[in-house]
Amino acid sequence: MKKFLLLCFSFAFVLSAWAQERVITGKVTSSEDGSTLPGVNVVVKGTTIGSVTDADGKYSLGVPSSGANLVFSFIGLKTSEIAIGERSIIDIQLTPDVTQLAEVVVTGFGSQLRPDLTGNIASVKAKDIAFVPLPSIDAILQGNAAGVYVNSQSGKLGQAVSVRVRGNSSISASNEPLYVVDGIPITTGSQSNFGGATNPLVDLNPNDIESLEILKDASAGAIYGARAANGVILITTKKGKAGKTQVTFNYQTGFSESSRRVPFSNSEQYATLLLEGAKYLDDRNGVPTTDPGSDTQFLSGPGEFFDYNSYGQWATDTTKTYDWQDVVFQKGSYNQADIQFSGGNEKTKFFASGQYLKQGGIIIGNELERMTGRLNVDQKVSDWLSIGMNMNFARTYNRRLPDDNAFSNPLQSVALPPITPSRDPNTGLPVGTPPGDIGIPIYYNPQITVDYSKFAQESFRNFSSTYANAKLLPGLTFQTEFGLDVLSQTEEGYFQSQTRRNQTRATRGLGTNRSTFILNYNTNNYFNYTKKFGKSDLNATVGMQYQQSSTRTSFTEGLDFPSDSYQKIASAATISGGSSTETQFRFLSYFARANYKFADKYLLTLSGRIDGSSRFGANNRYGFFPAASAGWILSEEGFLKGIEVISFLKVRSSYGIVGNAEIGNFPQLGLFTGDASYVGIGGQRPSQIGNPNLRWETNKQFDVGIDFGFFNNRLTGEIDYYNRRSEDLLLNTNLASTTGFNSVTRNLGSLENQGIEIVLNTQNFVGAFKWNTSFNFAANRGRVLNINGQIITGGIGQLPNRVMEGSNIGVFFAPEYAGVDPANGDALFYRNSVNPDGTIDRSTVNNANYGQAQRTVVGDPNPDYVMGLTNTFSYKGIDLSVLFSAVLGNDISIYGLGQYSSANAIFEDNQTADQMARWQNPGDITRVPQARYYAGNGNQASSRFIVDGSFVRLRNVSLGYTLPKSLLNRVKLDRVRIYVTGQNLALFTSYPLWDPEVNADSFDSNIAKGNDFYTPPQPRTILFGINIGL
Amino acid sequence: MKKNLIKTGLLALTLIGVPFACADRLDIMPFQSQASDVGLKTESDLVGTLIGAYDGLQATASYGGDIMLLSDIWANRAHLRFRGTFAGLQQVAFITATSTSSVITTDNAWATNMWANAYRTINIANLVLENLSLSEGAVRPTNTVRGEALFIRGSLYFELARLYGKTWQDGDPNQNLAVPLVLTSTPFEENKLTDANLPARATVAAVYAQAKADLTTASTLLPNSNLYYASKWAAFAQLSRIALMQGDYPAALAASDQVIQSGVYSLAPAFNDLWFNFINFGGVAPKEYVFYMRMTQQDGTNGLNTYYGQTVSSIPGTAGRGDLDVQAAFRDLHETADVRRGYFTITNRRLTNKHLDRFGHVPVIRLSEMYLTRAEANFRLVSTIGDTPLNDINRVRNRVGLANLAVLDLSGILRERSLELAFEGHRLHDIKRTQGVTLGTSATTPNGPAWNSPKLILPIPLREIEVNSKLVQNEGYQ
Repeated sequence: MKKFLLLCFSFAFVLSAWAQERVITGKVTSSEDGSTLPGVNVVVKGTTIGSVTDADGKYSLGVPSSGANLVFSFIGLKTSEIAIGERSIIDIQLTPDVTQLAEVVVTGFGSQLRPDLTGNIASVKAKDIAFVPLPSIDAILQGNAAGVYVNSQSGKLGQAVSVRVRGNSSISASNEPLYVVDGIPITTGSQSNFGGATNPLVDLNPNDIESLEILKDASAGAIYGARAANGVILITTKKGKAGKTQVTFNYQTGFSESSRRVPFSNSEQYATLLLEGAKYLDDRNGVPTTDPGSDTQFLSGPGEFFDYNSYGQWATDTTKTYDWQDVVFQKGSYNQADIQFSGGNEKTKFFASGQYLKQGGIIIGNELERMTGRLNVDQKVSDWLSIGMNMNFARTYNRRLPDDNAFSNPLQSVALPPITPSRDPNTGLPVGTPPGDIGIPIYYNPQITVDYSKFAQESFRNFSSTYANAKLLPGLTFQTEFGLDVLSQTEEGYFQSQTRRNQTRATRGLGTNRSTFILNYNTNNYFNYTKKFGKSDLNATVGMQYQQSSTRTSFTEGLDFPSDSYQKIASAATISGGSSTETQFRFLSYFARANYKFADKYLLTLSGRIDGSSRFGANNRYGFFPAASAGWILSEEGFLKGIEVISFLKVRSSYGIVGNAEIGNFPQLGLFTGDASYVGIGGQRPSQIGNPNLRWETNKQFDVGIDFGFFNNRLTGEIDYYNRRSEDLLLNTNLASTTGFNSVTRNLGSLENQGIEIVLNTQNFVGAFKWNTSFNFAANRGRVLNINGQIITGGIGQLPNRVMEGSNIGVFFAPEYAGVDPANGDALFYRNSVNPDGTIDRSTVNNANYGQAQRTVVGDPNPDYVMGLTNTFSYKGIDLSVLFSAVLGNDISIYGLGQYSSANAIFEDNQTADQMARWQNPGDITRVPQARYYAGNGNQASSRFIVDGSFVRLRNVSLGYTLPKSLLNRVKLDRVRIYVTGQNLALFTSYPLWDPEVNADSFDSNIAKGNDFYTPPQPRTILFGINIGL
Repeated sequence: MKKNLIKTGLLALTLIGVPFACADRLDIMPFQSQASDVGLKTESDLVGTLIGAYDGLQATASYGGDIMLLSDIWANRAHLRFRGTFAGLQQVAFITATSTSSVITTDNAWATNMWANAYRTINIANLVLENLSLSEGAVRPTNTVRGEALFIRGSLYFELARLYGKTWQDGDPNQNLAVPLVLTSTPFEENKLTDANLPARATVAAVYAQAKADLTTASTLLPNSNLYYASKWAAFAQLSRIALMQGDYPAALAASDQVIQSGVYSLAPAFNDLWFNFINFGGVAPKEYVFYMRMTQQDGTNGLNTYYGQTVSSIPGTAGRGDLDVQAAFRDLHETADVRRGYFTITNRRLTNKHLDRFGHVPVIRLSEMYLTRAEANFRLVSTIGDTPLNDINRVRNRVGLANLAVLDLSGILRERSLELAFEGHRLHDIKRTQGVTLGTSATTPNGPAWNSPKLILPIPLREIEVNSKLVQNEGYQ
């Protein structure tokens, strides 16, 4: 055997020695800018003799003696063929392959060139999102991809972001897309147990990402079958490039602050409104305002409410005003350092990176810190086998804020009376801090929580994946991938005794500790076959995927600490709570896809996937999800070939079925749960009604689109129309509570989304001064078709988001406000009942008969249009990029704050300044009713609190200057760019509160969108940065 | 080379093939839960389920506080001023006879949650009653288990009937509708739900009869004392309440006398000993509590503390939203020497001291109520079973530092009752059964709704009407 091998080697050696008669060398450069091109394939035509250019674009190749041609090829460049003749040095310039647009698009278990795509996939490349001062990749997507609506929801750091691809596809199951990092579906659900949902995508360093592909239609998504109904976001991390090791260092520093303030009443206005309201009440009750039992005296009598809450100051100075927004908003800091290494040789390529990020929030007490490290290695083991590994480690520390609907939410301070000083004059401590009077201010002072408690989430995250790829036969490869996503998180809190008015059990300290461990592993194994025969190109993929995810949590809570110096539960005298839990899900799937191309013009893709899941009933465990799509590249047809204007033109269409299984674990089982203990004795309760027939929610999608390039591709774009219909919804349907259960999950109902997407990219100037524009536009209309007449609500109890047939998900449902009766200051509401003749009764009822005003749809939190517009300019070393994003046609409910603070002084909450327009005298024309203390007058849920949430935002501006090479050569640097970046510099909106890009974390759900509940706004951030290439 | 290819091919096929063999990996069961077909198989499971019913009863939406809370804040602004911001409670608190500025909406969260939690608990009790055959009497005597389940079900039906239905004396209880009677457990499978799982409302008389039957049977099954669970006497005490609501004074007399005569309970020597169970007594309940919902640092939320309590700087361990401000007019009803006149803590509110303790228990029935009930029934029936009404009243008075009365009239008994049991969930029901008028906003000329006003009855929750067309809405909400 050994001898045989030796013989083989010798033979091969002799053979090659015989063949190599002379050596050709040369250099390959780009025709665009003259730069050298590494990694270009150089092959002697018709042979297997070949080489690849090195980092300097140079190659060297032994060729047969006579008459051969050299073929130079590289993805994205036009393949070039040159006769060797008698030359020994052949330098060549390669030109970009414009007719092919040449972009490689990752499709899931493979990739395709964009011109060959028949499905709809949006791509965002690294350069579009580099060093944007936002910690998570989903938030950065905003405005960058058509049909992807991203709402950052809150200005708290690391908070959950809402992403909708082509509208809402489900009512009870998740509407968030599936995220796949280097082939591995990752954990994206919030693991937060305090202060609203967080975003586990924060653990991924956006600067490690090479590209993001958003699979939007069924054809693109079907390869992810049952999990693709909300779109799939494929994240591909950076790979090393052969050649000289590139080192990039980036540092940016700056600050952020709240971009807006909301005008609130000053002390005089505040007292005026309240006393007006109290007088109304006293008059109604027939009590003289001088009576000690009157409400007027309750407020303004000596030592009473005003005096008490101002430490007596009000008695002498009724004008002194404290603006609580000054207390809770702060200037946040931002510091980030990145280092990246990329390099390798023909056999081994690597990419390594590290990042440190530290960010201070715009609200007191909020901090985020992240450290990440990554190493991606690809190794060519032999000519038929390559292996690789991507490894990422991250630590994220987040000092959290309480949820929006907590008295301890700092922004709820705006409800505190402006007469109350923020510091207790007796102790100098934040007002309400013991030993001072903890009954002041009227509500708990959130600053005490910031100063005397801490709640921190710290997560350790490891994304790792390995692969091996074997070329089995010509055209046939086998790829096996194994990946892990490990999320290990602790949440630790300690509430000192000073917070006891809010944390009522913290009389002697309250400590909590919760850990969450998620092990999510996945394997993909698939064959890929590529074959060209005649005019046909075939690419086929078949394989399987198995995923298992298990989540384990444990929790301990302790009370009664020796003192606040001891903050670990080891010192707690009472262990007041403890728990451990586990849950799992598993998916087993088989998939296949074939891409067929004929004559470079006619495209066909067929794909399908069979998915099995532990989440479904024994009777319906597996589902099949097929899709088909076709395309026709018209610009390759003879009748268009001659037309200069048209560089590229393709029409395509797809239809398919994808699914949704994101309903939580074990929805199909009838269950007892053992959490019903009673004072020390364990107990169980029936917790769920089972449904053995439960199956996948299906989403049937149709897409038709056109891709075009005009004027030598100076103008390119896409236009799509789609229609998506979700059927057999996984719906939590209400049961009569007399059953002892509130709901059961059924496959019931349907809903529909249809829309248009437009993408336009233009190169306006291409000379020394370059100006490029990209624009994306999406219009979506969603409509619930059938939910069996059920009424499904979410959000804020009295003014809920509602699911109704004929409307989009989550519309606001309340009586319609009709303004104020000029005669008496009563709030009015339209009756909106149906007359016997079928018309709507538009007469009004006053406040007292509020109950007679029929509830109706008074707003829709879903936008009609979402747009992004990026302009990039460059001239010599100067570059400028400007991104505007717009969200139009959505409504927001400000009832959360409005019912207290924009409610003409019903309670002692401070009032927004606009409440001064209240009705005072008969004949007054205004939209703000008469002030009536503790007697609702228009504070009820109604369209009074529904406002337009449309906005245009100057989301990102980045201005940079790259130092000239001549200067840099002297200091041996490759590249130095200095820049300044502004995030959220301007906001154009009629929204009355802080920020229309909002959704209160306390109520957030599929259905509950567009609620503002003292929700922190997006920060305006300004950064100065330097980027150095070695 | 060829060998490598074959190896790789085999490997590939194996990797694809293995999961085929492991398709049953998709059969996994939850960890904190048990499938319904295995969760109730042993005596321990049965007793665990019974404990689950207590847990339901202890919830804030039931005897954890809300049932009592509503009775005291309903149209009582002149005595107990609600200063909180929960719209659902505000609707209940600010009702007056004439003004419609505050009305209870049919989606009122308290009306909705109280209903749902009661039926959730009743379903558990029904499960226990249907699976008594699992009991071997080893973990807990079978009779006790049965008696407790009946006690819980009966108590809840009684509370539901008087909150969602008309008062017994208001019209014909055989015609008036109360709440649906559900006496069997709900199947665990969606496809086994039938029309029977959408029941109509039963009459007031039928629901009272069911409550009475459950509690009467319970009284024969339950032991004399049963730790902090329901005892025989707790069942009798509930029966005395039902009888009182029905104006059946002989029955009220007999039942309350039974509780007193049992000798298991005794009046606390000092009024203050009844409260601050955790702060002052480390969680030991006074012997006066006939039935109470136990709270610990680990389990339960004292729902009365949530609204009546407030964090008072000088008393560590106090907590609460401070939503309920007792008015001077109420304090002034007390005689000067009355300990209860000073049983308040003044912050920017006047807070009752009864519910300041964060971890205090929630008393459902105290022995002093039994004395007051026996006194009232004896007085009305002109009898002296157990003791004279005067002696019973004086017992209650002496404890709070008041001298003996020499003569007694009915209003004196009722006034004593209202002062002794204030903020413990009796006020509204006492007004209803004595056919009085609520205060509303005025302490001097009551302007609240009268006892039989539809405004003093909770709406059938909107969500229930939406899923069950057989439910008829109450008069005040149509």
